[in-house]
This record gives sequence, C-alpha cells and structure tokens, in this order.
Amino acid sequence: MRTATYFLPRELHPAAWWLWALGLAVAASRTTNPWLLGTILAVAGYVVVARRTDAPWAMAFRMYLYLGAAIVFFRVFFRFVFGGAEGETILVRLPEIPLPEWAAGIRLLGAVSAESLLGGFYDGLRLATMVVCLGAANALANPKRLLKAMPPALYEVGTAVIVALSVFPQLAESVVRVRRARKLRGGGGKRFHVLRAIMIPVLADALDRSLRLAASMDSRGYGRAGMVDARKRLVTGALMIIGLLGVCVGVYATLDGSTPRYLAGPFLAGGLVVGLLGFRTAGARVQRSRYRPGQWNLAEVVVALCGIAVAVVLFTTSSVDPTNLNPSLIILSWPMLSWAPLCGVLVGVLPAFLTPVPDTEKVPA
Amino acid sequence: MGFAPSARAIDHGKGQPGFCTSPTGVTVVVDFQDLGGTTIVRCYPQGTRGTGLDALKGAGFQVAGVARWGEAFICRVENRPSAVEVLPIQGREGYRELCVDTPPAAGYWSYWHAGNNCAWTYSQWGVKNRDFVQGGFEGWTFSLNATADSNPVPRVAPVRPGTAGQSCVAKEEPKPDTDDPNERQVPAAQTPLTQRKPDPTTTTTAARETAQPVPGGQVTPSSGAALPPPMPRTVSAKPDPANNVAFTGGEGAPDVNEVLADQSGSSPLAPWVAGGVVLLLAAATGYTATRRARARES
Repeated sequence: MRTATYFLPRELHPAAWWLWALGLAVAASRTTNPWLLGTILAVAGYVVVARRTDAPWAMAFRMYLYLGAAIVFFRVFFRFVFGGAEGETILVRLPEIPLPEWAAGIRLLGAVSAESLLGGFYDGLRLATMVVCLGAANALANPKRLLKAMPPALYEVGTAVIVALSVFPQLAESVVRVRRARKLRGGGGKRFHVLRAIMIPVLADALDRSLRLAASMDSRGYGRAGMVDARKRLVTGALMIIGLLGVCVGVYATLDGSTPRYLAGPFLAGGLVVGLLGFRTAGARVQRSRYRPGQWNLAEVVVALCGIAVAVVLFTTSSVDPTNLNPSLIILSWPMLSWAPLCGVLVGVLPAFLTPVPDTEKVPA
Repeated sequence: MGFAPSARAIDHGKGQPGFCTSPTGVTVVVDFQDLGGTTIVRCYPQGTRGTGLDALKGAGFQVAGVARWGEAFICRVENRPSAVEVLPIQGREGYRELCVDTPPAAGYWSYWHAGNNCAWTYSQWGVKNRDFVQGGFEGWTFSLNATADSNPVPRVAPVRPGTAGQSCVAKEEPKPDTDDPNERQVPAAQTPLTQRKPDPTTTTTAARETAQPVPGGQVTPSSGAALPPPMPRTVSAKPDPANNVAFTGGEGAPDVNEVLADQSGSSPLAPWVAGGVVLLLAAATGYTATRRARARES
C-alpha cells in the first residue's frame, strides 16, 4: 500500500525543505502585517521542531531566533536614536543632540512617535521573519545531502554555494558545541573571559570545519579541472557567474515591488539563458556517477507545494488587495487582516503533519 | 499597545465644513477631478502659522503619505485613489496606487495655493516646507494624464463668500533656491492684510523641467535620497466663483476605516484567529520540543 510506506520514517530531500522555506520567506517579504508575519514565524517554528533531526545544524535553529530578535530590537532602537518624529502620536520627547551644519538632515534623539517606532518594528519583523525562514531551511535540510543532490553542471560553483550556505549553520553549530563543552567542564569566569573562551574556539572550529569540507569535496572531485584547458574554464566560469548575477538581480526586482520593472523580467530571463549556457558547457564535460541519489517522492512534492502555495497566495492577494499587507502607519490602528492571506500562510504548517518523521528519532543514540 | 481610536474620513472634530468666513484660517479645497467624487471644501480656522500639511489635516481631511517619504508626499486624500482602484494611466495599464514609492507623474495629487481673490498657483514647495496663507486657500487636485501645462486647477474659485470683487492681496511666494528637500520657506513677516500690496496675477515661467511631481519636499532624515524637484509652476486665470463646480463640506463622508475594511475584505475576526493560531502553534512547539529533548536524553 502506498499510504503504508508514505509515513515510514526517512529524511526528506533537502531541496524540498529549501523550496518550502523559500516560499515562506518570499511570502514574508511581501507583507509588513504583524499578524501575518507572526503566523509565518509560528508556522516555521512548529514545522522545524516537529520535523528536524537531532543533527547539530538542526539544533542551531534557536540561533536564528536570537538573530531575528536582535534585528527587530535594532530596527526599533535606531528609530529612537535617529529621529522618529514622523507621525502625530509622540510617545517621549528625548533631549535632541544638536549637530553641526554639515550634518543637516540627521537628527539625534528628539521626539519619538508611536508611528515611527511601529514602522521600525514592522520592518524589522519582516526581515527577522525572512531570516528565521532561512534558518528553518538550514535546520530541516541536511547540507551534506544538498551538496550530493547538486546537478553536475553546478559543480563549478556548487562548492562555493554550499560553503556559503553552510557557513552560518556551522557557526551556529559551533556555538552550541562549544557552549555544551563549557557547561560539561563547569566553566564559569568573568564575562570578558567567557566571551574569549567561546569566540575563539567557535571561530577556530568553524574555520577547521570549512577547510575539512573543502578538502573532502576536493577529494571527491568537486571543482576539479585538470583535463580542461584554461580558456574553456574561463568562459564557463564567466557565463555562470554572469548568469547567476542576472538571476539574482531579476529575482530581487521581481520580489521587490518598488524596483523598476525593466530590472525584473529581462534580467531574470537573460540571466537564466546565460546561466543555462554555462551549465550546458560545464555539464558536458563533467561525468560522475552518484551513489544512492536522493529520493524525490510524494512527500517531497507535498512539502515543496506547500511552500510555493504560501508564496503564491501572498503574491496574488497583494496584487488584488494590498490594503492589508502593508498596514498604514499614518492613522494608528490595529492592523486589519483578511482571511485569504491568513489561510494561505497556514498552508505552510501542513508539512508538520503530512510528512514522515525523520528516521534519526527511531535510532537509539 | 494602546492605539488611538480610528479616525474618520472627515474628522468632524477638526475644521469646519465650507469656506472660512473670516480672514483667520485657511480654506482647503479637495478636487477629485477625473477620479470622480464631489469636491470638498473645508476650513482650518487657525490663526497661527502652520504648514500646508497642518492645514490639510487640520481641516479634517484624512490623508496618506507614501511609505518612502512619509507624509511629505501625499498619495491619498480621503482614501482616493484607493489601493483597489485601477487608475487609467496612459502607458501603465492596470496601475494601482499602493502608496509605496513616489506616484507617477501621470497620476498624483497636485498641490496648489492661492490668496483670497487670487489665482490658483501650483506650489513650488513641499507640503511640509511651506506655510499656508492666512485667509487664503490650499488646493489639492488629482492630476491624471496631465502634463506640466495642463495640470488641472481646482475647480472652486479661491474667493471667500462675501469678498468677491476685492483685489488679490497675497504676496507671490519665492521659489526654493536650492535643491535641498529640507529647505523651508522663510516665514514672511506677518504684515496686516491691509498693508499688503496687491499682486498681479501674471504667469511665472517654469523653473525646472522634470518628469516627477512634487506635492511634498521634505525627506525623513533616515532616508538618504532626495525627493524629485518640483514640476513647473502654472497659474490659473482670474478666479470667478460663478464657474465653481458643485461641492460639499464633506459632512456626509463615510468613515475611511470602514471603507478600508470593506475594500480589503478584512474580517474583524481574522486577527483573533491569527493570534489564536500563533499561541496554539507556540504551545505545540514548546510541547514537541520538550518531549523530543526528553526522548533524546533518555
């Protein structure tokens, strides 16, 4: 029976989790409505806790939550420092620090209005939600399996992409490990000493592991270019880099509603074409077999579709009905919310129920 | 977080309907032009100086600024053009004003001012950068598919009732002489009205050619870039109250928050559901996390 095997414990394909998390992040980037952002955060948090493995990168999810909290705090704090007088509801009047003539336009302290603080809060919450969504992807997707699933054409840039993607999870993981080791040793000490005792091992650890990752990838043939002449490599590399840059600009312009439209479609299409050309030329000369390739079954489709559905719902509602997605700060009021985007965001929680649990839970430690 | 109660479309606590009846205060005219809707005339009866924005809001109008510039750039007056309204802008089919960035030059609220019995003048100053004229007029008209020369003038003559036939007594305002969006108009010495020299209503030439309009020129200190410079200045013909369109004092205007809730399809229940879902998921997260941590330790 299909349903009998569907829920058998196994680790899902990492790309599925990435698609799901990126869908949530795209949805978060479309709105500053705190209700929706809070729901996205809760959804991401619950799915992570329900479906993560016991791997160290999965345990580092809370670091992203701390980072998100810091982002929100600093956004609001800067509204205090650099003038937040836009709006009528003045909360506090701090003494304004006079600045010289050449610094005109910059204001230090002074009156702080509820509108500008809320503006900072909404803005920071949006960024924090996107960061937490990426953290969810890092917690749920196994970076080593993601590397394995990389198409051969991407080997040239794949190494760099994976190292870039895994730097922060590795740092976070190092922090968790070093803190645990300190706790086991019963380490105390003064605050500065604690900082040094954590920071240095963490940085050393992360560097060591990056080098180890690079070495292990090297030994498996990633980025190896012995047989190909230099000019061909240069052309492929240039094509790929230009293509990826174009895709980045295009995706950014597509997602950010306020950038000029000519940056969106043409750059995305041009980048894709150039990148695919690069992929073709690179893939033509890379021939590798793959040991037990990652499966892409129904559960992966469900996870990916849930994430994409969230993004699609937020995209359509923001073009149909943008009133609620960016709450007005001119008149202070509780932000309004309609059902469509809320239900859309709630689709994102389905993977917590509709996917098999990771198999590490069943394996005794 | 305790928020102020919702504001009304016309805040009846602010300003008075109709023209100002005395030389104290300023009359604000909002002309929806091609957007459709009855022109609204209200009075901001304040004798002390204030900015154009003070006049607009003080008269009871409900306005919205763009997210980029704040209230320095007014993008909606009385929730027009609303976020669900498709503006027939030439070359930009299906355009809707989202109030995120500077509105296009082919569809924006243009800012005018006039002394009593004077001609309407396109403001060279941002709404936060100039002071309104006591006894004078502030005009807002929606400029749709218009050029700098064909910007629609408010269709209510700047003449207070009972003063028709008097001569124009307002001073011509100097243009801004820098590109600094924070430059403020130097407040004119408050000379008594009778001592002011009559001003000929001649047309002044355009200062700058630009594609972008500026009803407002003040930039929030945190936003690094500058607002686009103002449109060329235009002056209307000699005012004649006989050509006025029909207008109201905005007495029957609906509650903007209700209109917004209606337009967006938002439900008063949805935020409660969202809050409940967040709490539920947070509780489930905590429960699952502790359960799995315990399973790991055992």
